[in-house]
Amino acid sequence: MEKPRRPWYRMDNASFMYSSIQREEFSAIYRFSAVLTERVDPVLLQAAVDRTLPRFPGFAMKICRGFFWYYFEPNTAPGPYVKEDTADPCRPVRFNEDSGWLVRFYYYRSRISLEVFHALADGAGSLTFFKALLAEYLRQRGAAIPPGEGVIDLDEPPRPEEREDAYLRYAGKAARAIPRVPKAYQNRGTPEPFYTFHVTMGFLSVQELRGKARSYGASITEYLAAVLMLQLIEKQKRERPIREKPVTLAVPVNLRPFFPTETLRNFIITVQPSVDPTLGDYSFEQLISLIHSYMHLTAEPVKLRAAMTRGVRLLLNPFLVLIPRVLKNPIMLLSYHLTGVEPYSAVLTNPGRFVVPECMRPYIEHMEVVQGQATVARPHVSTISYGDTFEITFSGVQKETELEREFFRFLVRDGLHVRIESNR
Amino acid sequence: MSYCVNCGVELNPGAIACPLCSTPVVNPNCHPDAAEPGFFPSRKEEVAPVSRREAALLLSSMLLSVAICCGLLNLVFYSHIWWSFFIGGAMAMLWVWFVPPLLIKGMFIWVRLTLDVLAVGAYVCLIAVALDGMDWFLALALPINVAAVVIIPVLYWIIRTRRCSLLVSAVLVLMAIGLFSMLTEYICDRYLIGEWTPGWALVVLASCVGLSIPLIIVRRVPSLREEARRRFHM
Repeated sequence: MEKPRRPWYRMDNASFMYSSIQREEFSAIYRFSAVLTERVDPVLLQAAVDRTLPRFPGFAMKICRGFFWYYFEPNTAPGPYVKEDTADPCRPVRFNEDSGWLVRFYYYRSRISLEVFHALADGAGSLTFFKALLAEYLRQRGAAIPPGEGVIDLDEPPRPEEREDAYLRYAGKAARAIPRVPKAYQNRGTPEPFYTFHVTMGFLSVQELRGKARSYGASITEYLAAVLMLQLIEKQKRERPIREKPVTLAVPVNLRPFFPTETLRNFIITVQPSVDPTLGDYSFEQLISLIHSYMHLTAEPVKLRAAMTRGVRLLLNPFLVLIPRVLKNPIMLLSYHLTGVEPYSAVLTNPGRFVVPECMRPYIEHMEVVQGQATVARPHVSTISYGDTFEITFSGVQKETELEREFFRFLVRDGLHVRIESNR
Repeated sequence: MSYCVNCGVELNPGAIACPLCSTPVVNPNCHPDAAEPGFFPSRKEEVAPVSRREAALLLSSMLLSVAICCGLLNLVFYSHIWWSFFIGGAMAMLWVWFVPPLLIKGMFIWVRLTLDVLAVGAYVCLIAVALDGMDWFLALALPINVAAVVIIPVLYWIIRTRRCSLLVSAVLVLMAIGLFSMLTEYICDRYLIGEWTPGWALVVLASCVGLSIPLIIVRRVPSLREEARRRFHM
């Protein structure tokens, strides 16, 4: 009798990059948390996970090591199991531990957390999965949550479109990189011993924040990017370097609004608003205007498609294809260091509003997002909003709190009410 | 509800200090509520380190397989010379360098350094035995090796136990290089020409002293030291 062939799935370029550069001191893991209005029941949560995961096969994968590439295989191991949350979130993933699961589920009091390895999906894909999980958990608790309005029906079979490599589908003829800036101010701090991970969250009112951003003629993301950039410029000045370096932010852009797709896998690209402090002093209003214009000029389909095509072409490069994986990993690590670490001072990611159907709203108090450990000791900044609560997270392994302190102090000085929570 | 007097942000009712600036919370109307459960969990999860035993086993098997393969090849190719003897010795030396630190947790670094230098000495001795060159080994290689065994671990021990600053450590390393050069030249001269005629080692020593003097001055003058620290982000 012929042995059934085990299916396998090719990685997209973002997945391969994250798998290649994964190591003990770096974690391409991110976390979404929903804080509910009632305490979480772990038994019901486990039941919800068991019911939801088969509908999302893209999250029930393990990473296998091929001779030339990493690839995905469906994970048939028991689990993943719901665990009680720990003080240090987003622990680095080890492909051969925890039965190879690349998603984790935690609970703490009224908080449900989902941690995802970035090779599986981006924030938008994971939020779709998380929404379905929350809906199923609430159903298990007795609430009537019908599918629809963004909540995927768990009874329907998984659709192939959700597993498509949208980068490959939309790659065009022209391949160009988004113009890069030289090595940026690195904003490095003193790393904590392995494995201590600091998370500081700030909570604001969405209405207040939107009103403030609009008063400057900007969106919320542009306003926060300008605040972050100003704090980085001033921090660099305080350190009195021999020569100041450009301050550059990495802002991931969701490509779905530009290129329609139903994929739940990675489909993002990073844009880099930057200023060179050696040219002179920028006022806050000038920074906002600069970021606003940059986002409008850069985040347009033709440029984004060309940048995306470059990533795809790189993965199809015949010379790179023929290099064994063990040799590819150091090349990818070096490439990531040169193109993903050195040109940036900080990462600012905003997955946007978390919208749920009306019937789910009374059960969810607020949402949180945390990005995992950066390759160097500097904070990542991530934001998410739900209802009227806007949440901003600074996460990293650095001992110092200077950047987040000055960031939140600026918001307070600008007339916004900020509530702070931290695991420090 | 308390606010940080420095940052102006609202804090958790259980907070005893601001997480942003560490300013203690002093609110006579609202004492920190110790019973208030933390916003974040406090349970620490131990992260199991990568198995060092397995890594040691893998490395040992790799080194052993290289030595065995070369031994077998030696039976076929150039079998009149025992060339695989040198490769086997090199593998043994690499084993001493890399495997004991994986197996013994918290091995003192100066013990490790001594072992490393001794392994080099043993390998050179092996070559000397194979080439029938015990005279140059005893008169040249062994004394140089002993000098390295003494200088390198002692240097490390001084830097580590005295908690030397970066500048002092740099001066000590330079001095050790100068001293080692002098000893090497002395041993070489005694073996080759029978007497010591200082030459190239003096140039090395003078360079090391020349580099050390500005470092000592920077170390001694507080304003210079502060400026160097600021400029080099030390």
